[in-house]
Order: sequence, then structure tokens, then C-alpha cells
Amino acid sequence: MPNDTSTMHGGSARRSPEANSRLRAPARWRGISETALARLFLAPSITVMVLVVVFPILYALVTSLNAYTRRQREGFAGLDNYVEVLSSGVFWQALSFTAVFTVTSVGLEFIIGLGFALIMNRALRGRGIVRATILIPWIIPTVMAGQMWAFMFNITPGSINGLLGLGDFNWLGQSGWAAGTVIIADVWKTAPFAALLLLAGLQTIPSEMYESAKVDGATSIQRFWYITLPLLRPAILVALLFRTVDALRVYDLPEVMTGGAFGTESLSMLVQQYIVETPDPGVGSALSTLTFMLVLAIGVIFVRAIGSHLVFGERSR
Amino acid sequence: MKQQNTAGRLLAAAAVATAVSVVAGCTPAPADNAEEGEIVWAIGGPRSQPGGAHLSIAELWNEENPDTPVRVEALPEAADGAREQQALVLQAGGSEFDVLGLDVIWTGEYVENDWIVSLEDVRADLEGVTLPGPMESSSWGGELWAAPLNTNAGILYYRTDLVDEAPRTWTELCAAAESIAAEEGMDGFIGQGARYEGFVVNWLELFWSAGGDLYNSDQSEVVFDVDLATEVTEFIAESVDDGCFAPGYNTAMEEESRIAFQSGDAAFMRNWPGPYALIADDSESPANGVTGVAPLPSFTGEPGVSAIGGFNNAVSAFSERQDIAKDFVVWAATSVEVQTILAEDAVLPVHVPLYDEFADDPVMQQLGEILQDAKPRPAAPQWAEISLEMQRTLFEAANGQMSARDAAEQMRTFLEGTLNG
Repeated sequence: MPNDTSTMHGGSARRSPEANSRLRAPARWRGISETALARLFLAPSITVMVLVVVFPILYALVTSLNAYTRRQREGFAGLDNYVEVLSSGVFWQALSFTAVFTVTSVGLEFIIGLGFALIMNRALRGRGIVRATILIPWIIPTVMAGQMWAFMFNITPGSINGLLGLGDFNWLGQSGWAAGTVIIADVWKTAPFAALLLLAGLQTIPSEMYESAKVDGATSIQRFWYITLPLLRPAILVALLFRTVDALRVYDLPEVMTGGAFGTESLSMLVQQYIVETPDPGVGSALSTLTFMLVLAIGVIFVRAIGSHLVFGERSR
Repeated sequence: MKQQNTAGRLLAAAAVATAVSVVAGCTPAPADNAEEGEIVWAIGGPRSQPGGAHLSIAELWNEENPDTPVRVEALPEAADGAREQQALVLQAGGSEFDVLGLDVIWTGEYVENDWIVSLEDVRADLEGVTLPGPMESSSWGGELWAAPLNTNAGILYYRTDLVDEAPRTWTELCAAAESIAAEEGMDGFIGQGARYEGFVVNWLELFWSAGGDLYNSDQSEVVFDVDLATEVTEFIAESVDDGCFAPGYNTAMEEESRIAFQSGDAAFMRNWPGPYALIADDSESPANGVTGVAPLPSFTGEPGVSAIGGFNNAVSAFSERQDIAKDFVVWAATSVEVQTILAEDAVLPVHVPLYDEFADDPVMQQLGEILQDAKPRPAAPQWAEISLEMQRTLFEAANGQMSARDAAEQMRTFLEGTLNG
């Protein structure tokens, strides 16, 4: 309804309240069009979103184009900060750890989470207890979980070594194993979250489909492969999107468990270093802009995948 | 329908108004809510928390100076967090903080940023009665910028039931560790070998004890000896391999070290003086009653050089009560009562005459001697960068991820780069 909002506005202001209540008139008499009203309603939330989301992003972008000596601004730097970041070995190391961490932890979390979800969906007796037990790790604050795992993996007092009879195996103090312990802690912590999202998806699958498949003689593997997985696809993609984006920003676990030693420095730790520890807001912002673009690109790919599925789903109906 | 629209418009208007007021709220409000004549002491660390020594010190000052009371602004316990809080205020030229509690390595950075004022005019009150190491860490460019509050130094803990006397050299220590391992099944030496500031401190103590240094005395020239640095790093790598250093060395910070020593897993430990009281109180510990402290070992037989920690108090350049703030920092450094409060809270005082009062306490005497030769890390503005580079190169080399010589050469190049910028 392409109405002229401003005149409609003016018109409505002049009308008396009694006249308003008496009117049961055509749409254009109602003072303001639906679209304009929608815009008006959305304006505050969009303003707030611009302030808290768009402004910091633009601010980081501007900062990343300036040169700093410690905290003092020295002038415009063009793309120098980006060149510095992209040509430093530390950045590529952090990127490769972040990538390895994301792929392995999200992969394991998905497989374990799917297993949990199937159990939680099935369990008839003690359903509540099973669900509560599986979700406990997710409730524990990440920093505390990290501290706890670091303590258990550490040689002194060496709880895990004692349990597995490994003597003085140095989990946190060897490259490869250090990254492994961080991944184990993350999988332990967030597999329940993946399970929760997948369980919600599982519960939307109508049981009639399984029943008719059974009647047609499909085995349980066939039912899983041809009914559960395809119908679970949107939930799987949402779970993977959430976990991937989260894993790409990982900071707390490696910071607490290894302090970035033995190749466990993540991109976010590097950003923190340049913003807080060795302050160079220019390089720090360039780093966070690059991290942001990476996360955004992956997010867009996932959203496309989810969107296309919904489109296909609609067509086939 | 019509009424809903009107109501909707009202709501929208209210929402816009709220949004506008949120924006208005972003502009900083006048922050000075301090009482008349009050000064604010912004300091971090565990002793600024309720019941801590810093609060007792403030109380003491307030009793003596009711017209110009001091209030402790407790900053985060972790050094980086405290520095960030101070930097946020100082960067904006804020006058909220009058006295700043500085970690010994921040002096240079604060001076270069024009955040603190010179204390050259009160040098006479401090010199002679204050330990030389903390004085050096309070200085930058030959000028005094802070008054030491307390100090700290790395010491060697050993077991009097396992060795007759403290090892003086690393060779002696490793030989003792080997026989103790064979007889008692214990690990050898534990220190702060994890990748963080503590590793840098431990490495520097070895390097200093071997006669090395990073810069010359006025920090105008790099004197970093690549050969010596290579030897020191290789010594750590070998000691980790042959078991002289305990297996958890490369992931241990202060707390892990203490646990290893206190639980009887490790025979020797490098740590700050803090754990001594904890071990003495823990009657379950195998180290209880048989723990001795000594200067760190060296490679030559001379006593090893300890690194200095602790707090210095500086006066903010944006303070509106600089005179009172100056009186306060000098008083905190030289008052026997203040320094006793610190000593009783397991922190080392900086006031030299106080060590005479502990003449009958062998541990305090020992610490007083160690402190005479202890060295501060360079208080350069780039210290944070230097420390991180040491963690990225020397730590990697000490753990066999990099050649010790490459690490030392990279470190020298980095240090030379800091002189130009």
C-alpha cells in the first residue's frame, strides 16, 4: 500500500478522538499504512541493532586502517595492518589451530550429539534423568570447565594419568596432545548443546513415517538413513552453524588450559593479545575484522544451505 | 482498529525516546563523585580485595589523616586486567585515580605515555632506606617515577632431609636430583616453565645468573649474548629431557609448582616466598618442617640472581591532588607500620631498616640478602611485547619445537628493533 506517510500522519493528528472511534471506514482512512506502521514499529529495534552491532563493526574497520604505537594513534595506515597480519607466521599458526580445532571439535560434537539425541528421543523410562545427566556439562561455565580439565590433565596431581595408568604422560606439555586436550574439553562441554538442537529436530519427525517404513519392510539402518537424516537436515545445519561459528571464536578453553602453548593459540587469543596485552588497536582490529569476515563467510554458506532446503521442501509439497 | 494504531504510534514514540535516551547515556557523566579531599588508590592484586593488606594500609592512613582520606579502588587481581583498567581511565585523561599501583614492569610504558609525574623531588626521602632493586624498577630514563610499595624475589626451596645443604650450582642440583630420584623416586626441580610471564622470569634468572643481560644499564644498547642465551635455553631443554627438571615443568605455574613441592613430588622448587608459610602450616605435607630456602643456583657457584616482582606506587598526571598523593606514596614506602603490615601478609617489604627487626628470623635474613642482588626486568614501554616474543621463541626452543640458536638470534633481532621504536 504505497501511501504518503507524512500526509497521513498529519491527517490523523488533526482528527478528534470521537471521530476516530466512530469510523469503520476503508483502509486508507486508517491514518497510516500497514507498511509504514511496520517500519515505525521496527525503527527502535533497528536503531538499537545499528548502535550495538553495525557501529562496532564499522568502528573496528576504521581502526584497522590506522597506525598505532602502543595506544597512540599515529595516522592513516591504509592496508598496512592487514599486510602485517597476513605476513606474520603467528597469524597463520593461529588460523590453522582454529581450523583444526573447529573441524575436529564440531565433527565429534555432531556425532556424539546425534547419538545423545537419539538416546534421549528413545528413552522411555528415566527420560528426565537421562536428559538432565547429558546436559550437565553444558551448564558448567566454560572457564571453570577448562580449569577443571587442565587440572585433571596436569601431571600434578595427575588424576587422568592415575586413572589410565599413564604415569607422567605430559598431556598439556606436548604439541599435538595439547590441542587434543583442548578439543576433548570442548567436545565434553558442547556435545550436549548439539544434542539439544538435534533432539528438537528429531521430535518434529512424525512417527507415522517410521511406521509406514516398517510396514514396507525397511530395516532400522534404512529408516535412519532415508527418514531420520533427510528430515533432520535443517536441525543438523542449524546445529553445525551454531557450533562452527562458536568454535571459530574459541578463546576461553585454550587460554585457561594451555595459555596458547604448543600450537594452541586461537585467532581470538591473538585478537585479545593485540587489544589488551601488547596494545596495538590497529593490528588488533585488522585481526578481528579478518576473523569476522571468516565467520561471516561460513555463516552465509550455512544460511544458504538451510535456505535452499526450505525452498526445495516447499516446492515438493 | 483505529485505537490500536494510536496506541501503536505512542508505543513507537516511546521506544524511539528510549533509544535516544540510551544514546544520550553513552556520553560520560561527570565521574568525580569523590568526597572533598579524598584521594583514590587504584591497585590490583589479591591484597586489594576485602580484608587485604592494601585496605589495612588505607585505614592506617585515614586514622592519621582524617582530612585527606584515601580510598582503595580494587582493580582486577590479574596484572593484565589491572593495567587495562588504569589505561582506560588514563587514556581518556581521567582524574578518577590519584595513586596508581604499578607492577614493576609498567614504569617505562606509563612514563612514555605521560600518565605519571616525576617523583625526583622526593628521591631523598626514599634513597638509602629503600631496597635498590625496587628503586631501579621505579626509575625510567635515570629519573624516579614511583615509590616502591613491596617487593618479591625468586628463591630456591630445598628439602633439608634430602640434602645436607642447598645446592649452589645447577650441576650440584642435578646431581642431587638424580640420586634422590634413584633413592626416593621423587622428581627433581620444579619451577615456572609454562608459557606465560613466569617462564620469562625463570629464564631471565638463569640468563642473569650466567652473566647475561638484555640491555645495558641505561637501556640504550642491546647486550643480549646469543651464545649465552643458546646455552641457557639448551640447559633447560636438556634438564627437561634427562629428568633433572620435573616432568610437569613445562606446564607449571606458581600454583602447580607449589603443589608438586608441597605434596612431596619434587625435591627442589623455584618460587616466590609466598608458599613458605603455606608449607609451614601444612602438617600433612612431607616437606613440612624440612623445607629450607636459599639463593637460586647459578652456573658458576656465585649466588644466582633473582627477578624482582611487587608493586610500586606512582602519582597520576591527571590527579587533582598530586601533593597529597605524593605524601601518600612516600609514606607507604617508608612507614614502618605499613611495611610491617605487608611483611605480616607474606609480602616482602622494601624498607631496609625493617629487615633489622627480623634479625632473629633466618628466612627473612636470607631473603634480605637475596634482595640486595635481585634484578628487575627492564621496565621498558615495550616489555609486554618483549615478554611475548620470549615466550614465542625461547619457550618453543626450551621444548624442542625450535633450535635454541635460532630462538636466541630472533630474540636479539627483536630486542634491537625495540630500540628504534
